[in-house]
Amino acid sequence: MTQSFLEDVKPGDPVPPLVKNASRAQLFLFSAATNNPHRIHYDRDYARREGHEDILVHGPLQGAWLHQFVQGFAGPRGRVLALAFRNRGRAFPERDLVFRGRVSSVEGDVVALEVWEEDDTGAVLMPGTARVRLPRRDTREGGRP
Amino acid sequence: MSLIPPETRALVGKRLGEPVSATLSAREAERFAFAAGDTNPIYLDEAAARAAGHRTRVVPPGLLVWALEPPRPLEALREDGLWRDAGPPLRLPVSRVLYGGEEWEYRGAVYAGDTITAETRLASLEEKSGGSGAFVLLTMETTYTNQAGEVVAILRGQRIAR
Repeated sequence: MTQSFLEDVKPGDPVPPLVKNASRAQLFLFSAATNNPHRIHYDRDYARREGHEDILVHGPLQGAWLHQFVQGFAGPRGRVLALAFRNRGRAFPERDLVFRGRVSSVEGDVVALEVWEEDDTGAVLMPGTARVRLPRRDTREGGRP
Repeated sequence: MSLIPPETRALVGKRLGEPVSATLSAREAERFAFAAGDTNPIYLDEAAARAAGHRTRVVPPGLLVWALEPPRPLEALREDGLWRDAGPPLRLPVSRVLYGGEEWEYRGAVYAGDTITAETRLASLEEKSGGSGAFVLLTMETTYTNQAGEVVAILRGQRIAR
């Protein structure tokens, strides 16, 4: 994994996007890993009864992907300090979901980001913000927890 | 006429329910990491975790909410697969509660083997009116503390009750 450094980041910089695409089996595994029996995530007939065209990707799975996206920007020695997001739209399996971001400010060693998730029509499903602590290029290996 | 009964408004600032604790295993952390497709080695490999400045393998923070939920018997299952009585113990004259969003503050990593305690309080209740009528915006704040008494994370979760 690459490491970003504080000196290399400035407001307006885009964060390289992360593309996710969940299979139905993956949605099942995520329900299992979180002990979540909600039928909307594995039972298509039930999801349709509730008015959805298909089973839905879990909000928390999208949250985990957003965290992965921000942690990817932070790198192994960076730390994610804060993450906020709102669920605005539904996400479905077998469709590309793209995570994008932009640096909004740099104050001290804390970088603030605007982040969001788009579906394959470009609609924003989950707008959010994040704060990350980045290491300085001149510090020794090891970082601080 | 207010949507918020006085006994519910009196709960603002108070703790909701009892604190819950759980010990997070490396295995459940791995399961979550793989299921999310996030194979960051700090979640999976001891040496990689230490090289990144951690004391041992890190638990993906997305697992916290779920790992602290206690197992329930089948009788507690609703028809939709959600649990009965799983929401906050508040009374509001609404027909549904929608998930609004989350704000996480991460103060320290959660490590495999840590025992985490979660305590939730009702941070605020606001009555609002929107295009489709009146609704209540609830914010609940959950503080996650490890076995050393350190706050590792704080979650502010929003719900829309209408």
